[in-house]
Amino acid sequence: MKESWKKGSVTSLASVFPVEEAQKAAKRVEDAIADAQNELHRARTFVADNTTLLNLVHKLPEQLSHQIMVPFGKAAFFPGRLIHTNEFLVLLGEGYYAERTSKQTVEILQRRGKSLDSQVDSLEANIKDLQAQLSFFNATASQVAEGLVEITETEDYVEKESNEGESKSGMFSPPFLSDTAYNFKEYAYSSSPQQDAPNLRNATDDDGDYARILAKMDELEKQELAAESGNHSDQSDESTADFDEISYRGHIENNLQSSKDFQQSVLLDQTNDEDIATEFQKKHDHKDVTDQLNFANLAVQSRDREGENFAKFVESTDPSEKIPVLSKEKAVQATTASKTEVRHQTSQPSFDSRKAFTGSIIEHADNLQTNSRNESSASSQGSGSQSSKPVSRFKMQRR
Amino acid sequence: MSASNLKDLQRELENKANDLSKLQKEIAKNHQMRKKYTVQLGENELVLKELDLLQEDANVYKLIGPVLVKQDLAEANANVRKRIEYISAELKRLDATVQDLDEKQNSKKDTILKLQQRIQSLQAGKGKA
Repeated sequence: MKESWKKGSVTSLASVFPVEEAQKAAKRVEDAIADAQNELHRARTFVADNTTLLNLVHKLPEQLSHQIMVPFGKAAFFPGRLIHTNEFLVLLGEGYYAERTSKQTVEILQRRGKSLDSQVDSLEANIKDLQAQLSFFNATASQVAEGLVEITETEDYVEKESNEGESKSGMFSPPFLSDTAYNFKEYAYSSSPQQDAPNLRNATDDDGDYARILAKMDELEKQELAAESGNHSDQSDESTADFDEISYRGHIENNLQSSKDFQQSVLLDQTNDEDIATEFQKKHDHKDVTDQLNFANLAVQSRDREGENFAKFVESTDPSEKIPVLSKEKAVQATTASKTEVRHQTSQPSFDSRKAFTGSIIEHADNLQTNSRNESSASSQGSGSQSSKPVSRFKMQRR
Repeated sequence: MSASNLKDLQRELENKANDLSKLQKEIAKNHQMRKKYTVQLGENELVLKELDLLQEDANVYKLIGPVLVKQDLAEANANVRKRIEYISAELKRLDATVQDLDEKQNSKKDTILKLQQRIQSLQAGKGKA
C-alpha cells in the first residue's frame, strides 16, 4: 500500500554535495577571482601608462627641442637636449620597431589603448561571473550545512509546470502546485520569503472558508474524540473522509512531548522564519491545542508527520548529531506548519477537484514526540482517505 | 594469501597514484606553455596589424640581441606571418597533447578508484573473517 502512493524521493543535499566539497569549490573560485583581480590591476596600470605616454607623445612635437635631464648610469643625470621631437621609434612587439611620426605614434597608441580597454572589460566580466559562482558555492555550502534536502516528485502528482519528472530544489513552483514544491522554493531562494508572508496573510483573512473548515473540524473532532479511546485508527479513518488530518489529532498530545529524535530540518531563511513563526504563534496562543481542532492542530499534525517521515527516512536520529542551528528549529517548524494552513485555505477555492499534495518536508521536530507506531497508522490513514479529501495536505513518503 | 594480495594491490595503487601525479604535472606544464604561446600569438597579431597599417616606405627595425637591424617591411611582414603560423601550429599540437593527457588522467583515475574499491572490499572481507 505504501508503494502505491509513493510519489518521489527526498534526498539530503549533503549527500549530493558534501560540505567540504562545496567549500573547496568556493575556495577555488575565490583563488580564481584573486588571480583575475591581479590581472585586472595589471591591465589597468597598462591603460594608465598608455594614456600618459599618449599625452607625452602629443606634447613632444610642440617644440623643436626640449631641455631634459638625460639619465646616465644608475644614479647620474646630466643636462641635455631632446631633438627630432617628431620622430619616434615605436616598439610594435616581438622585437619589431618602426619609425613613426608623432601623429602616427598617437594612432598606434590609441589602437593599443582600445585593445587594453577590451581586455579590462573582459576581465571585469570574468570577475563578475566568478563572483556569481562564488556566491552560489557559498550558498550551497551553507545550505548543505543547514541540512537542506532535495525533494523529487514523480510526474503523475505534479502538474505540468513543475513536472518533467521532478520539481527540483531551485525551481519556482506556482503556489498551488504542491506543498513541497512551494515550500521548497522558499528554502532554496532566500529572496522568496517576502512572497510568502503576504500569501499567508491573505490566507488567514480568507474567513469564509476558514470558518467552514473550522466548523467541519469541530464536528469531526467530536467524532474523533469518541473514537480515540478505542481503536482510533479505524475510527478516525472513517470520520476523516474530508480531513484526514483529524485522524492524527489523537496523536498530537503524544507528539507534543519533546523529543530529540529528529535532527534534520529544512531550514528557512531566518527572517522568513521569524515572520511566519510569529503569525503561527498568535494562532497557537488563543486556541487550545488539546480541546479544539484548529489550525494549530492541523499544523502540528503535518508537522509531526513530517517529523515522523523524517525519522523513517533518515536514520540519523542521534541527538549528538544536532545541527548547530538549533535556535532556528522551532521557528522553522512553526513556519512549515502555518504554511500548511495556508495551503489548506488557498487551495480550496482554487481547485474544485481535490488536489493531492505530494512530497514531504523533512522537519526537525525536536520538541515533538513522535511515536513511530502512531505515525505509521497516521500515514496509512492519510493515504486511505486521501482520494475523497477535497483539501490539500501533506503526505508523507519515504525513500 | 589474501594478505599478500592486499599488499600487491596497495603497491599497485601507489604506483598508479604516482603516475597520476606525474600526468597532472605534465598537464600543468602544458597549460603553462599554452598560455605563453597564446600571449605570443596575441602580440604577433598586434604586430602584424600595425605592420599592415604602415606605409611602404616606413623604416622597420628588428631588435636582434643588442642591436636594431633594419628590415624590409615586406620581409618583416612575412616573418611575422610565419611566426604566427608557427605559433598556431604549436598551439594546436599542445591542445592535442593536453587532450591526450586528460584522457590518460581520467583512465588512471578510474583504475585508481577501482583499485581502492577492491582494497576496501578485501579489507572488509578480512574484517569479517
